[in-house]
Amino acid sequence: MLKLLLAKEMKLTASALSYLFIALALLAFCPGYPILLGAFFVCLGIFQTFRSAREANDIVYSALLPVPKSSVVRGKYIFCVLIELCGFAVSAIATVVRMTALADAPAYRANALMNANPAFLGFMLLIFGLFNAIFVRGFFKTAREFTKPFIGFLAATFVTVFVAEALHHVPGLEAVNAFGFEHIGLQLAILAGGAALFVLLTLLSERSAMRRFEALDL
Amino acid sequence: MSLAEVRSLCKSYPGFELRDVSFDLEPGRITGFIGRNGAGKTTTIKCMLNLVRPSSGGVSYFGMPLVGNEDAIKPRIGYSTGAVNYYPQKKIRDIVAVTRTFFPNWDEAAYREYLEIFAIDENKRPRELSEGMKVKFNLLLALSHRAEILILDEPTSGLDPFSREELIEDFKRLRDRGAAILFSTHIISDVEKCADDIAYISKGRLAAALPREDFRASFGSEGETLEETVIRMERSAANA
Repeated sequence: MLKLLLAKEMKLTASALSYLFIALALLAFCPGYPILLGAFFVCLGIFQTFRSAREANDIVYSALLPVPKSSVVRGKYIFCVLIELCGFAVSAIATVVRMTALADAPAYRANALMNANPAFLGFMLLIFGLFNAIFVRGFFKTAREFTKPFIGFLAATFVTVFVAEALHHVPGLEAVNAFGFEHIGLQLAILAGGAALFVLLTLLSERSAMRRFEALDL
Repeated sequence: MSLAEVRSLCKSYPGFELRDVSFDLEPGRITGFIGRNGAGKTTTIKCMLNLVRPSSGGVSYFGMPLVGNEDAIKPRIGYSTGAVNYYPQKKIRDIVAVTRTFFPNWDEAAYREYLEIFAIDENKRPRELSEGMKVKFNLLLALSHRAEILILDEPTSGLDPFSREELIEDFKRLRDRGAAILFSTHIISDVEKCADDIAYISKGRLAAALPREDFRASFGSEGETLEETVIRMERSAANA
């Protein structure tokens, strides 16, 4: 049934921008750019799907399908996670290329901002988790209104980007942004933390969104 | 045995209250659900489809409560909520291709038959349809999976007289095959033509749920049409 709901999301509901904006995860290649914004743009692409879903009466159509009402929420979450993981995969490939083949590129050596490394990927997952917890959960409070949840997500993202960009300037935390594999242990720990938060935020918010949606009058 | 049981349904909104609505849907019977605008017909139907959560009371189908059994119940129900414009930019062919995957009992022959009866072009998009054609499109989806119960909100509103007539004949055919049909309408003559039972709602309260002949015997006067009876009842309720 979840496969059917995902197919419905992809064939009827998804905005083409949700797929196109996955490519913006390639911003991980940009030197001198706050590359975490790539995660934000992937989420912006998903936001377009919610907008087109509202215009297409998708929520009522979905709630009338022979599935439990709460599965409508799960279908949306699965779609979001799929797009987010695609964006993550694109950034992960870019990160591996930057850390290996392009490790000595002068543009990256002179980069004053966040480098593409496992810690960056961890923060990227945190932003995806925040999108699911703030925007998607917030949307299912009304299943119509998404301006406030999106503004909330926007604020949380920019705080995260600011903190992540500032972190390696804190004495003792330079290793977070280090080149190469010398501090890979610490960076992988941040990636693992980001992944754990992503899973936690997504699962908890999905459960909460289901409860909200069950109680909602459409 | 009833196919559907609506029991003590209550729902409060600011300025409106649905109070203690109860009725049954029996196999092989058509129920006309009548009442003026804002009487509570759509709220009742939305509660029956779990689109609106009742404040109290509930709905059961085939002996199972709807909440918690939607995946088992909904494939056996057909429903249409008027001229809602789903996916206005998508081709009807694509919407149907997705919809049919959710219904294990999808009847392609019935779908093709109604497609022809309603003269719907699969290559059109809902935004290109008139209001009446949108109603027909929603009905097409509702009628194409051998539903045992049909719940239809204003299915004849916006239809031309020919399509209404055809639809009423289809209701009768489905009834003869054992289906239970509930349809809400303002067009009392449609109820007169095909309904076996009448559920009449006024100001959020079910004023009567009776076989049509019993309804006439209880509330009608000599020589009065059903429409005249209902209008008289509404007027006396307003004056009360």
